[in-house]
Amino acid sequence: MNFMSEKTKVVPCSGIGKVYGLMAREAVLTAVHELCPGKAETVCLGYIVTGDREAKEKIEGFDCVTVDGCPKMCAAKNVKIAGGVIKEEIKVMDTVKEIKSKNYGSATKLEADGEKVVAAIAAKIAGNIA
Amino acid sequence: MSDEKIGIISCSGEECLGGTITRLATRKVMEEMRANVAVTLCLPLFLAGGEEERSFAKVFPTISVDGCDKLCAKRGTEKHSGKINGSLDVSKIIGTENALNTKVVMNKHLKSEHFQMVDKVAKEIVKMMDSLDPNANGPKKSGCCCCGGKC
Amino acid sequence: MVERYAILPCNGIDKKAGRLSGEIAISICEKCGSGEKPGGGSEILCPVFYRVSDKKYNATAAENPLIVIDGCPTRCASKLAAEKGLKISKKINVTEEARDKNFELEAGLRISEGDKRFCDKVASDALENAPKNEGGTGAAEFDIEFDYETYNKDKFIFRLPKNPGFLFNENDCWAYVVGNRARIGVTDFVQKSLSDILYFFPPDIGARIDQFGEAGSVESAKAVVELISPVSGKVAAINAALEQNPEFINENPYEKGWIAEIELADLESDRELLIGYEKYFEIMKKKVDEFHV
Repeated sequence: MNFMSEKTKVVPCSGIGKVYGLMAREAVLTAVHELCPGKAETVCLGYIVTGDREAKEKIEGFDCVTVDGCPKMCAAKNVKIAGGVIKEEIKVMDTVKEIKSKNYGSATKLEADGEKVVAAIAAKIAGNIA
Repeated sequence: MSDEKIGIISCSGEECLGGTITRLATRKVMEEMRANVAVTLCLPLFLAGGEEERSFAKVFPTISVDGCDKLCAKRGTEKHSGKINGSLDVSKIIGTENALNTKVVMNKHLKSEHFQMVDKVAKEIVKMMDSLDPNANGPKKSGCCCCGGKC
Repeated sequence: MVERYAILPCNGIDKKAGRLSGEIAISICEKCGSGEKPGGGSEILCPVFYRVSDKKYNATAAENPLIVIDGCPTRCASKLAAEKGLKISKKINVTEEARDKNFELEAGLRISEGDKRFCDKVASDALENAPKNEGGTGAAEFDIEFDYETYNKDKFIFRLPKNPGFLFNENDCWAYVVGNRARIGVTDFVQKSLSDILYFFPPDIGARIDQFGEAGSVESAKAVVELISPVSGKVAAINAALEQNPEFINENPYEKGWIAEIELADLESDRELLIGYEKYFEIMKKKVDEFHV
């Protein structure tokens, strides 16, 4: 673990095309800003993948939690490549299966059941943050 | 206005408000303002090697929309699919202070002033889309099947 | 029971080994029975004709174990089979057989009595070890080199395999026939329409399914879709990997996302209500154009 910062890095995929990408994004922000303030921080996946040295320094050697909205697992794969130490790879789909609904919302706005999924995932993320 | 599809590849950065505004503005363009024309390309998937995303961007006009001056979407698109047809830096539209705001990032915390920013950015995206000359990057292959030049 | 094979010899008429390739094919046919019974016997596929036209042999090649006979290391017949996307059940190489059996391939192109005896022996040995047409086929039989046609809509790519042996119904399901077994699944149109598939409900192994009967279902957050079986028969196997990884259907519904294998009851009748890749491709394009994925 990198002792320069003790904050866990939490990285969502934030895929813009599907509701699951929005769920990943909102869950990470809930966990980082509301459930574990000061103990974790988000890092933009787009920035990590640019390969910029500054981006790599934010991830390499740090404890990370990734949250992916679809089986392509973009966040998990790219955080691994950047050298992050992944404590848990969270899949939005796993929680969606637990909270069945006919209407989670859209990739723009979540409905009530979508928010339930977000809350559940945020709790899973928080469980990984000391 | 041409009916040719135009790809929009935008950041969705979670670190600051600029990413949230960018995401919502892009979705607004895709769902309401240019529903039959705009095709959103998922940036993480694009950067990770998504075949469909990259093939589209190679063949169809594509613009990038970034939430801050790191310009991740612009740089990623240029690296993997060649020159893009246009790019927007949202921090220049809504102001750097707003774009880099880290206190208001989640959708549920947005107020009417933030939705006005979304509208403003959406209009700029549409303006850029409407001004695009499909041949500005060299003529596209006629009847191309979006193979990315493979066939 | 009469065994039935598709036999693809090379056409090396300028070499003894090539000439014997055809002779071995004839010998295999004679040993299998020559079609006195309906459906019995084997069929030789002319490689020259097959290269220029698929139609005549596609069904035979798809429905029967394929024996390929190459005269020499150039392996023209094997290469043709690969081009056509065929699964080879048995390969014979005349030059290698001659070496193994200590038989001298004489100069000259005329076939001697000695050559005929050699060909007879090679044919007998091949049939002793060749896979039978009854009893179903294993997973390896479905392991082919896929050849796809694609249709693009916006950024989405819809693939359709054009390998011989693939049949489709208008419910967007496919069947790939090998021998008396078919593997079935849904097309790219279905998996893209559904978006991320969350659940897979397989048919029961051993269950009898009518053509156009339900053979399991898949569910996403958007909808549940039943797989309408293109063929009738008994469920012989299901893709157990899908129960933990239903997303395989999204990744590739033709390869890792296949749904079930059916022991065929009556393919000849079923075939009358099924369509080939070319016709289904047009149907799929129309559906894609009308549907906002």
